[in-house]
Amino acid sequence: MEVNITRENNSITVHFSGRMDTPGAQEINPQMNALAEEANKTIILDCTDLSYISSSGLRIFLTLRKAALDKGGKIIVRNICDSIRSVFMMTGFLNLFEIQSAK
Amino acid sequence: MKSDRKDKKILGVSVRAGLLVVIVAAISLEATSIIQYIYSQRAIKQEASLRAKSELKNAENKIMDVVDQAEAAVRNSVWVAQWCLEYPDSIRRIPHRVVSENPVVVGSTMALVPGYSEKYPLYAPYAARDMETGEIRMLSLATEKYDYPSMEWFTKPLELQDSYWSEPYFDENGGDMLMTTFSMPIKDKDGTVAAILTADISLDWFTELVDEMKVYPNAFNMVVSRSGQIMVCPVETLVMNTTIDQFAMESENFEGFDRINKAMLSGQSGEMPVRYKGQTNHVYFSPVERTGWSLSIVLPESELYSGVRRVSMIVKLLQLLGLTMLIVILRVLAKNQLKYHNLNEQKKRMANELHIASEIQMAMIPKTFPPFPERKDLDMAASIIPAKEVGGDLYDFFIRDEKLFFCIGDVSGKGIPASLVMAVTRSLFRAMSAHEDSPARITALMNDTMSESNESNMFVTFFCGVLDLAKGHLRYCNAGHNPPMILTDAIRMLTVAPNVPLGILKGMDFVEQETSFNYDDALLLYTDGLSEAENASHEQFGEARIEEALHGRKSSEAHLENIKQKVSLFVGEAPQSDDLTILFIHYLGNENKKNYHLTLHNDVEQIALLPEFVETVASLVKLDPEATMNLNLALEEAVSNVIMYAYPEGTDGIVDIDACVVENRVTLVITDSGKAFDPTAKAEVDITAGVEERPIGGLGIHLVRTIMDTVSYERKGEQNILTITKTY
Repeated sequence: MEVNITRENNSITVHFSGRMDTPGAQEINPQMNALAEEANKTIILDCTDLSYISSSGLRIFLTLRKAALDKGGKIIVRNICDSIRSVFMMTGFLNLFEIQSAK
Repeated sequence: MKSDRKDKKILGVSVRAGLLVVIVAAISLEATSIIQYIYSQRAIKQEASLRAKSELKNAENKIMDVVDQAEAAVRNSVWVAQWCLEYPDSIRRIPHRVVSENPVVVGSTMALVPGYSEKYPLYAPYAARDMETGEIRMLSLATEKYDYPSMEWFTKPLELQDSYWSEPYFDENGGDMLMTTFSMPIKDKDGTVAAILTADISLDWFTELVDEMKVYPNAFNMVVSRSGQIMVCPVETLVMNTTIDQFAMESENFEGFDRINKAMLSGQSGEMPVRYKGQTNHVYFSPVERTGWSLSIVLPESELYSGVRRVSMIVKLLQLLGLTMLIVILRVLAKNQLKYHNLNEQKKRMANELHIASEIQMAMIPKTFPPFPERKDLDMAASIIPAKEVGGDLYDFFIRDEKLFFCIGDVSGKGIPASLVMAVTRSLFRAMSAHEDSPARITALMNDTMSESNESNMFVTFFCGVLDLAKGHLRYCNAGHNPPMILTDAIRMLTVAPNVPLGILKGMDFVEQETSFNYDDALLLYTDGLSEAENASHEQFGEARIEEALHGRKSSEAHLENIKQKVSLFVGEAPQSDDLTILFIHYLGNENKKNYHLTLHNDVEQIALLPEFVETVASLVKLDPEATMNLNLALEEAVSNVIMYAYPEGTDGIVDIDACVVENRVTLVITDSGKAFDPTAKAEVDITAGVEERPIGGLGIHLVRTIMDTVSYERKGEQNILTITKTY
């Protein structure tokens, strides 16, 4: 699981690649908790290279979303593949996140 | 109301039938008695006729005897009388002699023809017997009062020049009695009639004689003289006062009397009916020779037939009594029939109710076969044949979480009580097995409930099994039921632990056992109605015959039909003594079964091993990437929980993952030995909730539930077992 964070002006782009399974989520959890502090900004979660997500990963997404709500920021989920979209569907996440498709 | 009307209708039919019987009986009885009456009448009439004729003959003989004596008395004195003509003074000795020598003669005279003797121009010395003293007095009839030459007894023989019997007459100034006289002309030497010699016979004697002729108590006799003078008659005023001619004319009441009158007067004999005051009388009559009298016996028909009438009356009474008894008997029979009919109606109603009960009972158990047509791993057949309308046997089965729950039971006793317990047992089985996967637990729970309220001390032998269809693993518990037969390579009895039947004692523990099923293995469950089915000579069908019937590989349906047919042939005409229930489970799973196993330690990093494992499983079912990912997700969610929380931190724990693929069905079983934890007990998350309300946790089990078809948890011993399945 790799995470690449790039900051531009008022937005932060988080690029995930690999599988966000339980160990993966555990691995990136400290980074994500830190990122939650900056939730007053627009955080773009780029899932273009994310192939898998489990409930641990969804928990991270939800934690960020709650932080953004607290701090007045914004979370944008970008480019989710069909299989992750179906997970979002199953969990009702489609209604919780603003989802942007690639270009 | 309805039944009342029906009763009346039935009673009406019976009454009509009874009435017909009574009428026929009455007619035949009446006909016989009429015929008997007619024949008896004829016989009696004949008998009466014979008796009357013989009596008439008898009387006639007696009369003739007297007549003869009287005639002889006169004739014997003729020559003396002739001699005396020459000595007129001695004439008076003649009548004296006639009377004294002949007891039947009450008086006698020898009357000279007037002018024959110069000495005695009129001379008729009369000897009369005093009826009281027997003395013979001599009188003379040649008096002014008694003008003898004008008397019939004198004139007629003189005229006829021959002997003559006079008409009866009252001899006033002579014999002074009712009499009849035999007169004989006495001729002198010149052949001239000189005197008339007579002998008188009292008619009092005659009446007595005739009275003896009484054939019947109420019969009476009549004697008429030649001229029709009534000589003897029950009405004394008529005697010597009336001729029968006058009587016939005066008595309009008599019908047919004139004919008899004529016949009698012309000296005929015979019998004729005469009607008097509506009554028929039979008159038998016969003439008396020489005197010209006619004797008759008058017999009232009522008298004649009084005997036979009395008999026929008695017969009629008896008939009436018989008919009354017949009516009473028929009435009793009709009532009995009604009772019987009502009993039958009641029986019919009860049979109908029982039939409905039977239908309700049969509706409780699965009756549609094949029960799971979409399943290729299971072939089942079952049959229940109650000995009575309703029975105490049961079987039941259903599939939950890829497990076949099934049971068979036999309630002690038969009939309605057993059927009620059967219904309770079946309901309890369904209730207890809804959430419980262990047959022993199901059985124990059922036993507790049933023992609690078992007032009637009925019990149920019960076999309960749970077959894991994916694995072919059978867990079972036998509560006093006869062991089922298992058909693997060989046929054998399933080993069963000796548990007590249900309903006997609360709180009993039940031993659970297990065995493995492979493809094409089968289980035959039955009640003792099969093994103990008896033929006419009380032989039992027995396990050996069951085993024999199970040889060869067949479908469940074919096996069942085969067994039923064999039992039916064996039992023959003997009545079925017990409910007969058969449940046949043919396991066809496992054939294409692929088992995969993965053992993980309680280290989160181990989750990385899952994708490869899932890939292998998914490839068998040819899953697309998305479905593969979902299966992976479900498995990860199920496993990660265990890895993270089941074992205390710092200790090593194992998580076993068994994957089983049968055709397009995937079963994943996650087993761990950590602390008891039922993930399915967690409340469902609300996926429609907004960000604020959304809890962070609970998504894992939600995903498992959403992705898989079934999710079930079981705590077995020290293990948590979570089974999730999905059919693609």
